[in-house]
Amino acid sequence: MSSLENELKKLIIESLDLEDIGVDDIDSHEALFNDGLGLDSIDALELGLAIRKKYNIRIDSEKDDVVNIFASVAALAEFIDSEQRAA
Amino acid sequence: MQLDFIINKWAVWPPLSPEQDSAAQWLSDISPMLKRRLTPLAKTVFCTVAQCLDEDGMVPAVFSSAHGELAKSLSMMEMLEVGEEISPTGFSLSVHNAIAGLFSMAWKNKLQCTVLAPGEEGMAPAFIEGLGLLQEGAERVLLVFYDEPLPAFYPSSPYRLSSDSSCALALMIAKSGTGQALTLFSSALIGNDGEQPVQLPAFIRFLTEPQTRLTFCMPRRSWSWEKRYD
Repeated sequence: MSSLENELKKLIIESLDLEDIGVDDIDSHEALFNDGLGLDSIDALELGLAIRKKYNIRIDSEKDDVVNIFASVAALAEFIDSEQRAA
Repeated sequence: MQLDFIINKWAVWPPLSPEQDSAAQWLSDISPMLKRRLTPLAKTVFCTVAQCLDEDGMVPAVFSSAHGELAKSLSMMEMLEVGEEISPTGFSLSVHNAIAGLFSMAWKNKLQCTVLAPGEEGMAPAFIEGLGLLQEGAERVLLVFYDEPLPAFYPSSPYRLSSDSSCALALMIAKSGTGQALTLFSSALIGNDGEQPVQLPAFIRFLTEPQTRLTFCMPRRSWSWEKRYD
C-alpha cells in the first residue's frame, strides 16, 4: 500500500467521522460509495472539501471524471498523484 | 374547544432515574453509517423515540423544537466570517428538520413528518398538529419535543426561551387505547410562562406527578392539559 493511499484512508476516516473503522478495514480497491464502504453523496462533497484543504487540489465536477476519481482509494491516489505531478 | 386524547407511551431523555438504561442500548439498532451523523441532541431525541416506537416504526410524527441546533448554524456563520469553507455535512444537518430527516432514515419511516419551531406558543402547537392528524384518521401519532441550551451569543435573558440542559420528550398519542387520558383546551388567560425549553421540564413533572392540571400562559392565550380518569 502506498503512503498516499494510507494517508487518504486516514483522511476519509477523519473527515467523514467513520469512528468504528480503521485504516486496515479499507481495501484500496474496494468501492468507496454505495455497496463498498457505503459512503453517500454528502460524503463525496465532504471528501472533496477535505482533499481541497489538504492537497490544494480542486476536483471540478464539470471537468473531471468524478465517478472514476472517487471509485476507490487507489483511484483517488492515482488522481492526486497525477495532479501533483502536473502542478 | 376541548380535545381529548390518550398518551399510550412516553419517554424522556436524559432518563428520570439514573439507574435507567444507557443511551448505547437505545441506539444499538441504528446503522454505524447513520449513527456517525447524529449530534448529541439527535442522540437524545433518538433515545426517546426508540422507547416509544413499535418494531415497524411506521407512524406519522410531529417534531417540535424552539431553536433546533442553532449552535451549528452559528459556528458555520463564524467560519464564513473568517473566510473558511464550511462542511457540507454540517450544512446539510443544520436545518430545522435535520433530526426528523435522520429519524425517517433510521426507522425507514415514509409517513408524514412535520417539524415545528413554535416560538412563543411553546408546546401546544405540536399537540394541535398531532390531534389534527388523529382527527384525519391516523391511528397514532408520535410527538417529539426537544431543545438544547441556546449558545451564549444569543441573548436569552430576560426572555424565557432557553434552559440550562438538553432534553427530549417523545409521546405516542392516540384517540383510544391504554395510557393516560388527557384533555387539551385553551382559554383567554395571558401571561409569560416561557417558550418550549422552559415548558418541557414542567410538562414532564405533570406526567410523573399526581397534579391533575397544567396550564401554560402565553402572550396571546393559554393552553391547559387536564388528566381524565373516566
